[in-house]
Amino acid sequence: MTALVRAELLKLRSARITTWLLLATLVLVTLTVVASTPTVDSESSLTLVDPALLAVVVGSAFGVPQVLIALYGTTAFTQEFRYGTITQTYLGEPRRTRIFMAKWLALALVSVVVTTATLALAVPLAIVMIQYRDGEVSVGAQFWQMIAASFGVMALYAVIGVALGALIRNQIIAVSALLVWMLAVEWIVVPSYPPVGRWLPLGAASAVMQLESSIGLDGKLLPAVLGGLVLAAYAAVATALALRAAPQRDVL
Amino acid sequence: MTTAIELNGLTKTYGDLLAVDAVSAIVLPGKVTALLGPNGAGKTTTLRMLLGLVAPSSGTATFGGRRYVELMDPVRRVGAQLEASGCHPGWTALDYLRILTTASRLPAEAPKRVLEETGLAEAARRRVGEFSLGMRQRLGLAAAMLGDPGVLVLDEPTNGLDPPGVRWLREYVRRLADEGRTVLLSSHALSEVELIADDVLVLARGRLIRSAKLATMRAEAGVGSRVRTPDPTALCAALEAAGLVSRWAEDELIVDAPPEEVGELCAKHGIVLHALAGTAGLEQAFFRLIDESPEEEVALS
Repeated sequence: MTALVRAELLKLRSARITTWLLLATLVLVTLTVVASTPTVDSESSLTLVDPALLAVVVGSAFGVPQVLIALYGTTAFTQEFRYGTITQTYLGEPRRTRIFMAKWLALALVSVVVTTATLALAVPLAIVMIQYRDGEVSVGAQFWQMIAASFGVMALYAVIGVALGALIRNQIIAVSALLVWMLAVEWIVVPSYPPVGRWLPLGAASAVMQLESSIGLDGKLLPAVLGGLVLAAYAAVATALALRAAPQRDVL
Repeated sequence: MTTAIELNGLTKTYGDLLAVDAVSAIVLPGKVTALLGPNGAGKTTTLRMLLGLVAPSSGTATFGGRRYVELMDPVRRVGAQLEASGCHPGWTALDYLRILTTASRLPAEAPKRVLEETGLAEAARRRVGEFSLGMRQRLGLAAAMLGDPGVLVLDEPTNGLDPPGVRWLREYVRRLADEGRTVLLSSHALSEVELIADDVLVLARGRLIRSAKLATMRAEAGVGSRVRTPDPTALCAALEAAGLVSRWAEDELIVDAPPEEVGELCAKHGIVLHALAGTAGLEQAFFRLIDESPEEEVALS
C-alpha cells in the first residue's frame, strides 16, 4: 500500500497543474483574509474586538482550499480515465479497491499539506490585518478548535472528491458538477435557506469550523460535533457508492 | 519464463451484442502468437478480458493457471501494451515510468533500462505531449517491459511506427520470444504478422475461427494475387468467367490464383492493370477464413 500511495503522490507532483492550482489557491486565500477582516465601520456582526475574530478570519480562508482539495481528489481518478493511464494503473494493481485506498490516503496526505500551507499563510496575514485595522488578536480555544477542524474538514473533502471522480469518470462532467455545486448551489442554498443548507456539506463544514458569523448564520447552523458527523457521513456514503460501483466497471 | 496463456470459453456480451463468443486457445511460451481479425472482431476485448480490465460474461483467461487478478506482482509476470492506454501529456517519459516503477516496487534502475532497450533514452526527460505516435508506442512497450516479464501482451503494437520502427519492433519481439517468453500480439497488419509470428489465432465476429501454426496456414492457402484496375467491372466479369474466386480488400481485388494466371487473363481481355502482385499465403488464408466464417450463426442482434 505504501508503494501505491507513493506512486499516487508522484503522479500529482509530476503534473504542473498541481502546483499552479495550489499557488492560485494561496493567492485567493490571501485575498479572502484581507476581505474577511472587518474594518472599524463595517456592518458585520463580527467586530474587531471579538475574541473569535482570528479564528473566524482564518477559517473563512478555507473556502477555496476546500474546493481545491475536492478538485484534486476528483481529478485523481478522472485524469486517469481522460488520458488512459488507468489501464496501466489497474495492470500494476488489479485489486482495484487497493487503488481506491491508495488514492484516498494520498489525497488525505495532500490535504494535510494544503491545510498547513493555508494556515502558514492565513494565520500571520490575519494577525497583521487585524492589528493593521486596530483590532484585538485573541488566540483562544476556538482558534485551536478551528485549526484542528480544518485538517479534518479538508481530509473529508479529499475523500468526497476521490469518490466523486471514481463515480463520474468523465472529467468535464465531474469537475463541472463539483464546481457548480461547491461554488454556486451551496452558496445560494446555505445562506438563503438555512434549515436545508445546514445539512449540506458547506453548512456542515462551516459548523465544524464555527464560521456561522462569517456567513451571517449565527445560531442557524448545526452544533460543531453534529456538523462534523454530517460531513463524515457524506464522505462515508460517497465512499460506499464508489466502492460498490466503480471496481466492477469495465475499462475499455 | 515459461508461462502459457490459456483462454477457456471466454465470452463477453454487451446487452444483446455478443462481442466475444466462447474463445478457447492456448498461447505457448517461446513463441510469438498473433491474434488476427478485422476491426470489430473482438481482439481488443479479448485481450482486455485476459488482463482483467474487462469482466468476462463467462469463461476464464489465465496465465500459468491463474487469472491476472490473482497474480502476485503481476507486472513482473505479465507486461502489456494496450491501444487505448496512454500517458499524461504533461509527464516526461521518465516521470511515467518512475510512477509505474514505484507503484509496483520495481528496481529504481528499471526505467533507465527499458528506455535504452526501446530507443527512448535521449527522450527520457521530454514531455510525452511532444512525442510522436511511434514514440508513444515505444513508451508503451517500455512500460510493458518494466518488470522484465515472462509474458508480453501487445495490442496493435505496430500502429504509428515508421518502417525502421516496425523492423525494430519485429526484431525486439522475436528476441523476447527466443528468450523463452510468451508473446501474444494482436494485429491487422498481415504482412507484419507473417514476418514475426509462429502461431496464429484468427477472430471474426467475436469467434475464434482458426488456430494454427503460421507455416500450416501458409501451406494451406496456396498462392494468390492482389490486383488494382481502373475497370473493376470488367475484371470481376473476366475472373468469374474463368472460375476464379476473388474478394475486395479496400481498393484492391484479392484473387485466389497466382499473378501469372491473373496477368495472362487480363491481357487476354484487354483489361488495364495499375498493380498486380502475389499475396503472401497468410493474407490469402486470412481473407478466405473471414469470407467463409458463418455470419448468420453469430448472434449479433
